[in-house]
Amino acid sequence: MRSFLVIGSIIMGIWAGIFVVAFCYGLNKQRTLNSINNYVSHIQIHHREYEKDHDSKYFLENSSRIKKELEADKNIKAFAFRSLLNGMISSPIKSNGVRIIGVNKNEEKKLTSIHSSLVEGSYFESKRKNPILIGEALAQKLKVKLRSKIVLTFQDADNNIISGAFRICGIFKTKYSKYDQGNIFIQNSDLQRLIKSEEFHQLALLCNSLDDVDSTYQSLKNTLSDYDVKDWKTIAPELAYADEIMETWLFLIMIIIMLALIFGIINTMLMAVFERRRELGMLMAIGMNKSKVFILILTETFFLSLFGAPLGMFLGAFTIRLTSETGINLAMVGEGLRSVGLGNIIYPEIEAKFYIFITAMVFIFTLIAAIYPSRKALKLKPTEAIRTI
Amino acid sequence: MKMIFKMAWRNIWRNKRRSIITISSIFFAIFFAVFARSFQIGIYNKMIANMVGMYTGYLQIHQNGFWEEQSIDNSFIPDQTVIDILHNNKDIIDYNERLESFALTASKNLTKGAIIMGVNFDKEDNLMDLSPKLISGEFPADTSASMLISEGLASFYNMSVGDSLILLGQGYHGASANGIFPICGILKFPMPDLNGRLVLMPIKATQELYDASERLTSLVLQIKDPSKLNRLKKYISKKLDLDKYELMDWKSLLPEMVQTIQADSAGGVIIIGVLYMIISFGILGTLLMMTAERMHEFGILISVGMRKSKLILTLIIESLMMGVLASILGIIGISPVRYYFNRHPIRLEAQAAESVESYGFEPVIPASLDLDILFNHAGIVLLIVLICTLYPIITIWRLKPVKAMRA
Repeated sequence: MRSFLVIGSIIMGIWAGIFVVAFCYGLNKQRTLNSINNYVSHIQIHHREYEKDHDSKYFLENSSRIKKELEADKNIKAFAFRSLLNGMISSPIKSNGVRIIGVNKNEEKKLTSIHSSLVEGSYFESKRKNPILIGEALAQKLKVKLRSKIVLTFQDADNNIISGAFRICGIFKTKYSKYDQGNIFIQNSDLQRLIKSEEFHQLALLCNSLDDVDSTYQSLKNTLSDYDVKDWKTIAPELAYADEIMETWLFLIMIIIMLALIFGIINTMLMAVFERRRELGMLMAIGMNKSKVFILILTETFFLSLFGAPLGMFLGAFTIRLTSETGINLAMVGEGLRSVGLGNIIYPEIEAKFYIFITAMVFIFTLIAAIYPSRKALKLKPTEAIRTI
Repeated sequence: MKMIFKMAWRNIWRNKRRSIITISSIFFAIFFAVFARSFQIGIYNKMIANMVGMYTGYLQIHQNGFWEEQSIDNSFIPDQTVIDILHNNKDIIDYNERLESFALTASKNLTKGAIIMGVNFDKEDNLMDLSPKLISGEFPADTSASMLISEGLASFYNMSVGDSLILLGQGYHGASANGIFPICGILKFPMPDLNGRLVLMPIKATQELYDASERLTSLVLQIKDPSKLNRLKKYISKKLDLDKYELMDWKSLLPEMVQTIQADSAGGVIIIGVLYMIISFGILGTLLMMTAERMHEFGILISVGMRKSKLILTLIIESLMMGVLASILGIIGISPVRYYFNRHPIRLEAQAAESVESYGFEPVIPASLDLDILFNHAGIVLLIVLICTLYPIITIWRLKPVKAMRA
C-alpha cells in the first residue's frame, strides 16, 4: 500500500509533466496553424520597397521568373500570386477603407481557407460579372447583403483613381472580425481588366510541412535575393510572442508541478518512516548502523522510482496517443467557446526527448525528496522506537 | 456533539507530527494552486491593460446605436445628467471626449484612408500614453487647427513637421468636410494597424471640420481600479438613460481580445486540473498513511463500544479542522509571495522581451492579487480533502475490530 502510493506519485508526476508539455505545444501549434492557414502562409515574397509604404507601384517585377523558381522546388506545396491595393469600398449608405486582395481563385483555394469560411454565397462561382467576397463584419457595417452592388475605388500604379462596380457573391467569416472588416477578395482577372495591366504585389506559398519552411526560406532568400522574402515568423511576430510567453509560462508551471510533486512525496515518505519506526528501531537495535538505514530507505525509493518511471511514461504516451487523434475540445471547459471553430480543438503532441527529460527530472526529484524522510529515520532512538505501537 | 468536537481537536494534537504533515500537504496544495492561477490571471490582466491603454479604455459611452453604425451622424451632445454621473463618482478619474471619423488624406497625387480622431491631448496622454510615442514635433494647443499624424502616414507621404495634409471626408448630416491642416507632430504607434492610419487633432478643430460643433462620438472613461469595473458599469447603467446612450466595456469594444483570453484560459484550466491531480494525490497519500497508522486505535474504540457513525463523524471533523487551519495558513503564506511577484513581476527572456516590447508592451508576467483566486482555490482544496476523507470513512465502515487491533 505504502509502496503503491509512492509509485503512484511518481507515475502521476511523469504523466502530468508529459501531458502538460504536450498540451502546451499542441495549443501553440494550433494557434500557429490557424494563422498560417488563414492569413500568413509559410513564406511571402514582395517587392523590396513594398513593406515600407504598401504603395501599389511596388509590384513584383518579372513574376514569371519567380514562378519558375518555385515550380522547381519540391518542398513547395502551393503558391499564389496576389494583387494588393488599398482603397475604399462604398455601399449606397456608407464607405470604408479596405485592403483589396486580387486572387486567382484556384491558386488561392490551395493556400488559404477563405473558401471554407464562407457563411453565405459561394466562392467566386457566380456567373455575374465582377464577383467579390467580403467579410461578415464589413457587410454589416456597410449594410449590404449577398448580391448587393458595391463600388471599389483605388489608385493604380500611376496614381490614377479607378472605380469599379462589383457584386457580392460570398460573405466570409474568419476568427478575427477585424480581418473580416478590413479585407475583401476579388479575382485577378477582373482587377486586371480595370487597371489594364498584369501585376502582382505579393506571392504567398505553403511548404509541404512546417519543418520544411526553414530550408526553403533560406534557399529562396538566396535565389530570389532581389526580392523581399519573409517567413511566417517575421511576418507575424505576435505568433512568436505567443510562443515565447508560452515557454516562460511552461517553465513556471513545470516548476510548480515538480514542487507539488516533491512535497507530495516528502509527506508520503515521512508518514512511511513514522509508520515503520518500530521496524527501523528494531533494525538499529540489533546493530544496523545509521548510514545503512539511510541508504536502505534511499534504495527503496530508487526501486520504487524504477517501477514508477516506465509506467508513468507509458501512461503519458497512452494519453497523448488517445488525445492526439480525437483532440481535446476546449469548449468543454471554456466559457463562450461553444461555437466549435478552428483552434478550439487541441491536439497534444510531444517530442521524444521530452519523455526522457521529464522522466529523468522526476527521478532525480524523487530521490531528493527521499533525503529528508531518510534523515528523519536516522534520528529515531531505537529504545523509544521499539516501544511504540 | 460537543464531545465529538473535543475529541477531534484532541486527536489532531495527540499525534502532532502526523497532523502537521497532513496540514502541510493541504497547505502546499493551496499554495501551489493559488500561485499558478495568480500568474495565469496576471498575464490576462496585463494583456487587457496593455490593449485597453492603447486606444479604447475600459468603458465608453456613445449615442445609442453608434457602435453598430460608426458614423458621425450618430454623434451626440452629452447632456448634463451624463456629466453629473461622471463627475460624482470617485472611481472615475476623468473622461475623454472624442470625435472620431473616417477621411481620405491626400497630398499631391497620393491618397490614403485614415481615422481622424478629435481629442483633448492632455487627457489622452493619460489614457493612451502619448508623450513617449511623440517622435518629433509637439502636441497642438487645444484651440489650434493643426494635427498629429502617425509615423506610417508620415512615411507614406514622406512628410515631416511643418508640411500640410488635405483631409476629405463627410461631415455631420452629409455636410462636406474638407480642409488642409499643418502637421505639428508625428506619433509612432507600436500596432501597425494604428500606425498606418491614425490622425489626431484637437477636438475643437475636428468639430469644425465635420460641421459638428459640440458633438462627440464617444466619452472614454478613465477608471481608478479595473477590478471594480463591473460594479462601476452597473452603477452607471442604472443612472444612464439607456434609450439615448449605450455603455460599453472593453469586452464588447475588443471582442477579439475576449476570444483570445477565453481560448487561452480554457487551456489554463486544463493545466490547473493536472496540477490538482498531483495535489490530490499528495493529500490522499497522507490520509492513507494516517488510516494505516491508526488502525489499532480505531479497532480499540469500536470494540469498547463506540458507534462507527460517531467515529466517522469525528474523522470528518478532524479533516475539516485540519483543512480549514491549512487553508488559513495557506492564504497567509501565499499572500506575501503573490505581493512580491506583483511588485517584482517575472521578466521574459531577452528574445521574447524584444518581440513583446516591439508591441509597446512591458515584457513582464505579474502575479494577480485578485482575492477571488484565494477563496476559490481554498474552497476547491477543502473539497478535495473531504473527498479524500472518503478513504478512511470507508475503511472504518468495513472495519473488523479484532483484526484491526492486531494490526
